[in-house]
Amino acid sequence: MIDMKDISKVYENGAMALDHVNVHIDKGEFVFIVGASGAGKSTFIRMLFREVLPSAGSLIVNGQDVIHMDRSDVPYLRRGLGVIFQDYRLLPDKTVTENVAFAMQVIEAPRRKIQHSVNAVLDIVGLRDKYKCFPSQLSGGEQQRVAIARAIVNHPALVIADEPTGNLDPDTSWDIMDIFKRINADGTTIVMATHDKGIVDSMKRRVIAIEDGHIVRDEAQGVYGYED
Amino acid sequence: MKISTGEYIVRETVLSLKRNSWMAFASIGTVAVSLFVLGMFLILVLNMNRMVASLESQVEISVYVLDEVSEAELRTLEERIASMQGIQSVKLIDKEKAMERFRERLGDQQFLLDALGDNNPLPNSFEVRVIQPDMVRTAAEAIRELPGVETAKYGQDVVEHLFDITRLVRLFGLALMFVLALATLFIISNTIRLTVFARRKEVAIMKYVGATDWFIRWPFLLEGIVLGCFGGVVAALALRGVYRVIAVKIYDTLAFFPLIPENPFLHYVTAAILVCGMFIGALGSTISLKKFLDA
Repeated sequence: MIDMKDISKVYENGAMALDHVNVHIDKGEFVFIVGASGAGKSTFIRMLFREVLPSAGSLIVNGQDVIHMDRSDVPYLRRGLGVIFQDYRLLPDKTVTENVAFAMQVIEAPRRKIQHSVNAVLDIVGLRDKYKCFPSQLSGGEQQRVAIARAIVNHPALVIADEPTGNLDPDTSWDIMDIFKRINADGTTIVMATHDKGIVDSMKRRVIAIEDGHIVRDEAQGVYGYED
Repeated sequence: MKISTGEYIVRETVLSLKRNSWMAFASIGTVAVSLFVLGMFLILVLNMNRMVASLESQVEISVYVLDEVSEAELRTLEERIASMQGIQSVKLIDKEKAMERFRERLGDQQFLLDALGDNNPLPNSFEVRVIQPDMVRTAAEAIRELPGVETAKYGQDVVEHLFDITRLVRLFGLALMFVLALATLFIISNTIRLTVFARRKEVAIMKYVGATDWFIRWPFLLEGIVLGCFGGVVAALALRGVYRVIAVKIYDTLAFFPLIPENPFLHYVTAAILVCGMFIGALGSTISLKKFLDA
């Protein structure tokens, strides 16, 4: 699903965010990316959907060459991915249904299919009864569930989550992780950057630790391994 | 493009124009003023071109003959001129006829001629027409060389002055049009930038979920085109009104001024203004979107 070879990223200000990183992630894996702030986690995550372009190396995501692709092909790369952020990034003047449907509208999906798919994903995240609510009427956890619904409504092969539980209390975080587990159980690959020691330690999934732009640890059933 | 996408684009455009109605209003106003001035210069230059052309084609050479030339010599001279190349017609205006015309032209002030008594200071002359306007200069020069001819004049000064003025107006108009077009471009791109800014979250999400650049671009592009088009409509309506008023005034006072007839001239001007407005609108939004989409 992801094949990263000798990837480096140097920002314009000279900061080296990643230094010759090699990672291979198979289809169906559930991978945590851990590390202190500024270690290169965020760069790693953002490269996967080509928000950040690597300076050197080769990167294949979902069968597509991220580095050498045409600018005009980037949308098609992203259609195969679902992206989730710490701050949800919902549209405040759209309802739950509209926010989720938006992801299908902008890729010009047929209207009947939109209705059907939106209902299906709202069932998955357990928000069917709140479909008419606006984001401001929802709790943080509910908003993140809407964001997850939006990320998976186009059936991506890979879901990329950048600190999805960063703004949530522990109980709510666990609800969110349950949803991710279920999505993963359906065969969707998940790559998640997180600071949440409790979650990483108890999930017993693959953990990739990044420090100063290097991968310092890559364990199949890893733990968070930091004290913070 | 799918029908639902078309609907989406139109809906987003209308929404955005409503949301920023004051800014839209200001943009339309600026576009209208710019295009109005642009149109005025267009009309002015086209009319002056036409005037120059029509004056040129009407040019006549007045050949003044020396007083000592006899009646018989006058006939010979007339034949010699008529046989020259490019001459269409030669008409003798003798002293008496010249005086008669002068009197007519003076109208109420004919009494001024009383002072002359029986003297007629006007010379014999010929009115010479050439086949093509561009032959005027050479013909006049050749005629001047003939014996018995005092001088041969045509409206060279008038035509040349008019050329100079037209050139100046055209130059000034072009410069002004350029500046105004830039100002309009600036205003429209700023309006669109505000719109984009107001919707930056939405655009960012659109990019994350895989919307193509063109899908993102269309509503903004359409908004720019609509602003430009509305401005163009206002400018065109004002131009049509002004042209009619001026045309009436000119026919009343300066009947010799050959104004281009309203129809179909004003339709062409209207079309040009509208196309120009929409083009500037589209260009303006493209400029403000470029940075945003590339980021």
